[in-house]
Amino acid sequence: MRDTLRWAYALNQWNVRLDVFVRHEDQQRALKTVSACGFDTIELASGTGRWDNISRPEVILANHGSHESFLNFLRRAKVRGVSSMFWDPQAPAEEEEGYAFRSTANPADSDAIVEWSKPFVDFLAGVGGEQLVVRPVGSAWMSPPLDADGIKVIGDVWNRIGELASAAGIGLALHYDCLGAVHTEAELTGLLQATDPATVGLALDTAEFTIGGIDPVGFYREHADRVTHVHLKDTRYADTGQEYRMPGAESTMLKGGAGRRIERWFYELGTEGGLVDVKGFVAALRERSFSGWVVVESDHGGNPAELAMLNSWYLQHELGVSKS
Amino acid sequence: MSDDRAIKWSYMDHWRSNGPSGPVDQWHSHKTMSAFLKQIKATGFDAIDTFDFRIWQMYGDYGGPAKYQEMVRDHGLERIVNTFHAADYDVRNYAPHLPETHENILEDFRVTMGRWSEIELDNIIVMPATLYYDMEPITEDKLKYSAECWNKVGEITAGFGVKLTCHHEFFCGIQSEPDIETFYSYTDPRYVSLFVDTAQHCIAGLDPVALYDRHAHRVSGFHFKDTRNVATGDDHRHRPDSEIMAPTTGKWFYEMGTPQGLVDFEAMMTAVRDNGYRGWISVEHDKANKEGGDYSESTAVSRWYAKNVLEEIYR
Repeated sequence: MRDTLRWAYALNQWNVRLDVFVRHEDQQRALKTVSACGFDTIELASGTGRWDNISRPEVILANHGSHESFLNFLRRAKVRGVSSMFWDPQAPAEEEEGYAFRSTANPADSDAIVEWSKPFVDFLAGVGGEQLVVRPVGSAWMSPPLDADGIKVIGDVWNRIGELASAAGIGLALHYDCLGAVHTEAELTGLLQATDPATVGLALDTAEFTIGGIDPVGFYREHADRVTHVHLKDTRYADTGQEYRMPGAESTMLKGGAGRRIERWFYELGTEGGLVDVKGFVAALRERSFSGWVVVESDHGGNPAELAMLNSWYLQHELGVSKS
Repeated sequence: MSDDRAIKWSYMDHWRSNGPSGPVDQWHSHKTMSAFLKQIKATGFDAIDTFDFRIWQMYGDYGGPAKYQEMVRDHGLERIVNTFHAADYDVRNYAPHLPETHENILEDFRVTMGRWSEIELDNIIVMPATLYYDMEPITEDKLKYSAECWNKVGEITAGFGVKLTCHHEFFCGIQSEPDIETFYSYTDPRYVSLFVDTAQHCIAGLDPVALYDRHAHRVSGFHFKDTRNVATGDDHRHRPDSEIMAPTTGKWFYEMGTPQGLVDFEAMMTAVRDNGYRGWISVEHDKANKEGGDYSESTAVSRWYAKNVLEEIYR
């Protein structure tokens, strides 16, 4: 995409199960699809195990030999590089003490989580990525509500990792999601206040904000100085019934297992009935000359190729982004 | 051509997607049509091709070809370039090698061209023979009768400003190299053109580049698609349709750039350039969804190939 904003596309929806996105030719098809849609930069998402050869830093390097070889693999499909990588330290991973379950909300876990972040920081620096995008805290239903002290504990961990990332020349962006224990606008603002603006930014995901009850346009205008990364996608629903507090909300809420039984929350840009003011949000980014990556996602939405193509059409024809 | 590119890319109408009510094609609803057109445009296609039998949906759902074409244009595409006349061949009343059926065929085209006359088409594409099993043994007389039929049809379509062009499926009665050569020797270049389908000719055992080079002066378009298999034995003689029923191969067609593809697209594009062709190339990957394939992805991958490989040779 040729634009004053920098556009990238997230590969997460192609990699929906550990063994379905492993063969290099399948990955090349996804990369070519993204490229044909006008995106020459991608966001990766963390995974675990030997199958995650496009997700887990150590496994990527084991498969490709070096950062440069991995970049050459992307370049075969005319994808220029990696904007960012998503990592959730709360998601157990084989490489992280053998699927240890740790949380940024637990001070006793802080040292281990800081250690776990190093492969991601090193990998991103090696491939020229700019942002480590992280889930700052686990799901709300798994712990009591956070108070200010609890938020400070979380902020402290990310400040330490932010320093590490900064020393390696990359940014750290906390990604708010609609299930997280940092849920309300006040809690999110509190987390930002508990982190160092010099080293810790915010990844604003338009759909996650909207589902969680936070207006992405208003929040961006108020906190533009802290927003260093964007995930752009739409939703047709807001969590008006506090479904995020249901036990197992990853399934009960996001997969329609209970509550209003909504099976699909995330949609492509331009979807009928979309709640996100995409044009207003992008206009706000332009007004503030946003310099970070705007990553378009099709996660949990459907056929990833179809959604990438629909998102590309929206960028070209509704947002006035030139493809070449 | 409205700009200075020598080649523009059109997408031939084949599509399946999964909707809330199950697998559908793009003609299922205005919503699915819009999603289809957006995807075609987003990846860089300039136009679409379609089938004659879609005209009923154009009239019923959109108000006719011109109105439907307005929707195509609203999505950023230029127009409908070609239509494929998928005739239901029948030796009782519709078979080009049987002169007694010719008047019925001619009347079909008089009516058909009238239906399309409200928009500008470049080509009406036909399979120039019945199914192989309905025409064999292939004789020179049958080829000559077929040529005479299409000469007359081409004169009708020319009257509407549209070229009649022949697309030789591997399972039709005119698919071997000698039969194709004999057929064209009897046709009038003013009224009958050749439409080169790269995969179909490969499957039939022909070199599509050599065929194109021999007939370049009368080639009016292309289907660029790939295959991994050549027909063997009696693959070309299965009812109702060898594309579906041939025993050796469950899936014949793949998008351009597929691994193990038999079509030499770089040689093909070089020949297109060297023969000075200017105009539309249609991309096709019919039945792409078979055996786990996906139309959206195949469309993006083939347009990627056109941009990053073929346009480096000629654009």
